Amino acid sequence: MYFVEHFSFTMQSAELEIEDSFDFLFKIILVGDSNVGKTCVVHSFKSGIFIEKQQNTIGVDFTVRTLKIDGKKIKLQVWDTAGQERFRTITQSYYRSAHGAMVAYDITRRSTFESVSQWIREVEQYGAASVLLILIGNKSDLHANRQVLFEDACTLAQNVEAAFVLMARELMARNGMTAIDEISLEAPSLTLNSSHPVRDTLAPDKNCRC
Amino acid sequence: MLCRTSVSHAPSAKKETKSSTNRIYSLLLFLLLSYVGDPTQTQKLVNNWSCLCFFYCVFHLVLMSPCVSQEEQPRDSSGASCTQCPASSGRRKNLEFEPLSTTALILEDRPANLPAKSMEETQRHKQEYEEMVAGAKRREMKDAQKKKLQMKERHRHEDSISNAMVIWNTEILPHWDSVKGTRRVRDLWWQGLPPSVRGRVWSLAIGNELNITPELYEIFLSRAKEKWRSYSETSSVNDNESGECLSTALIHRELQTNFSGGPYHDLLHSVLGAYTCYRPDIGYVQGMSFIAAVLILNLEEADAFITFANLLNKPCQMAFFRVDHELMLKYFAAFEVFFEENLPRLFNHFQCNNLTPDLYLIDWIFTLYSKSLPLDVACRVWDVFCRDGEESLFRTGLGILRLYEDILLQMDFIHIAQFLSRLPEDLHSHTLFYAMANTHMVSRNRRWTQVFSALMKDTNKETDRNGSPALRS
Repeated sequence: MYFVEHFSFTMQSAELEIEDSFDFLFKIILVGDSNVGKTCVVHSFKSGIFIEKQQNTIGVDFTVRTLKIDGKKIKLQVWDTAGQERFRTITQSYYRSAHGAMVAYDITRRSTFESVSQWIREVEQYGAASVLLILIGNKSDLHANRQVLFEDACTLAQNVEAAFVLMARELMARNGMTAIDEISLEAPSLTLNSSHPVRDTLAPDKNCRC
Repeated sequence: MLCRTSVSHAPSAKKETKSSTNRIYSLLLFLLLSYVGDPTQTQKLVNNWSCLCFFYCVFHLVLMSPCVSQEEQPRDSSGASCTQCPASSGRRKNLEFEPLSTTALILEDRPANLPAKSMEETQRHKQEYEEMVAGAKRREMKDAQKKKLQMKERHRHEDSISNAMVIWNTEILPHWDSVKGTRRVRDLWWQGLPPSVRGRVWSLAIGNELNITPELYEIFLSRAKEKWRSYSETSSVNDNESGECLSTALIHRELQTNFSGGPYHDLLHSVLGAYTCYRPDIGYVQGMSFIAAVLILNLEEADAFITFANLLNKPCQMAFFRVDHELMLKYFAAFEVFFEENLPRLFNHFQCNNLTPDLYLIDWIFTLYSKSLPLDVACRVWDVFCRDGEESLFRTGLGILRLYEDILLQMDFIHIAQFLSRLPEDLHSHTLFYAMANTHMVSRNRRWTQVFSALMKDTNKETDRNGSPALRS
């Protein structure tokens, strides 16, 4: 399981989107309690621009982006779901055929972190067995109000079943790491179909491996 | 070509000489900017020094002149110095690039210490300058014509609105119950309600089946306020978000997300808070804030609440806000019947791509299009919704699909889904309403209600057979 602490960031060089052709197509579903900042993550993934105010997602919003990784065109479909409990009966059917799931929480609200295990259960229950998980600790720029320690997230990531790729990283976007790097890391492990590789961290000062 | 201009400029504008350092800065800044922008271009510019001088001159005039700095100051200090306003508005004219005001600078001869211009050169400069002036004039004329047309269109629109307003106020509203169903009123209604009567017509059309009084609203509002107080006392200590507190906390965060800092923020908070006290079984559901916001824009607080509660009490809205999945699927199925009837090619395309209506309709229906359409268009959709009921919501959806049919036919699953998640911002009400007018809510001689009730009967049969409600997802 990947773990990413997400920071507000800007992306310097967004690759040009290649619209129609692709070598691999992946469906990524983004879940987590309401108002943890899921849509912000998607928006910055799509356009490289961080916009603090995003409207609520009702049902599900879609984003597509094609990336080039190891010379292969990877088309990513991101399903950004509504977080409110009431919508779960609707979103449950969206886990089907997802290759990856991102579970987001807000580091300034403990309750959203406590829901993470519930979200993981949902993914396990309704998604495919091979689905890859990433845990995103959002709003790490508000660390003054932090209610969830990074270590807690690492512990949680460790305790999740071994079927997931175990990994944690703290993303400090101002150092130049961006969500795109994070998300694209997930893709090659899917394409190579390797049996859950544990990747070494790229920059030890930014990342912590569990 | 105009290499003297920057030199001759200096004595002619004495006011500006004192800011000669400014000018050096501006030149440096300009060079820097153009370098950052495009290094090769800068190289060319530097080679063509005369050109640079000209640009510098214009740059200086437009950006660095004292007029500008004085002009900018009051604007920055947010109206703190109103006394300067009349003077600066007079000066504002100089700010815009007016060819005439620069004549003196550009046509002046070279200073005595430099060789004078040849006749030929003077002639050429004069001609070039005249061409520039003519070009600027042409542009101005064009802009003026465009503005005139826009104004004409606006006047026409305003006239039709004020005419309609008179009709609504004098002929329709006083005799509401007897005329609301007439052909004439329905036609006028379709063309869009004048904003001044919009709220009134909406609240009349939605009605008050629930018999909510303004006093009742006050009671629920005071209960909500009590809850907020206890919430704000506890939330700082611990993050207690269970049961009723959850709704309170959610509304709070939602409004921060969607409407923070807006003028109606508190009103919105009140209406939504009162509703969660009125219907704790439903509570706050995401999407409600959009509906309440549109109502508050058009109605007084208590009326907005009454209309909000009655609107959410309609069968379709109840099904969605309770997230009655089974019932929602019926609505989607009925929608698909009319989708296939109206847009068979697009319907097939969607089917081939596994694009089910829930993926886009949920957002549209939950917010009655107030999130995905521009506000003025959404208001017109609401007008029709008040006239025709739930069926019009699906008709609007089909109208949107029809409007973009050609584009959508070229797209694959995810691009369609993405497109429908974020409709183009330049969507105009007249094009949408044209598409909606071409959408007929009749399928094999059956209207919406008949199709929908037939689908409902199917469920009932199934339920009878299975003995329990079939749960499919």
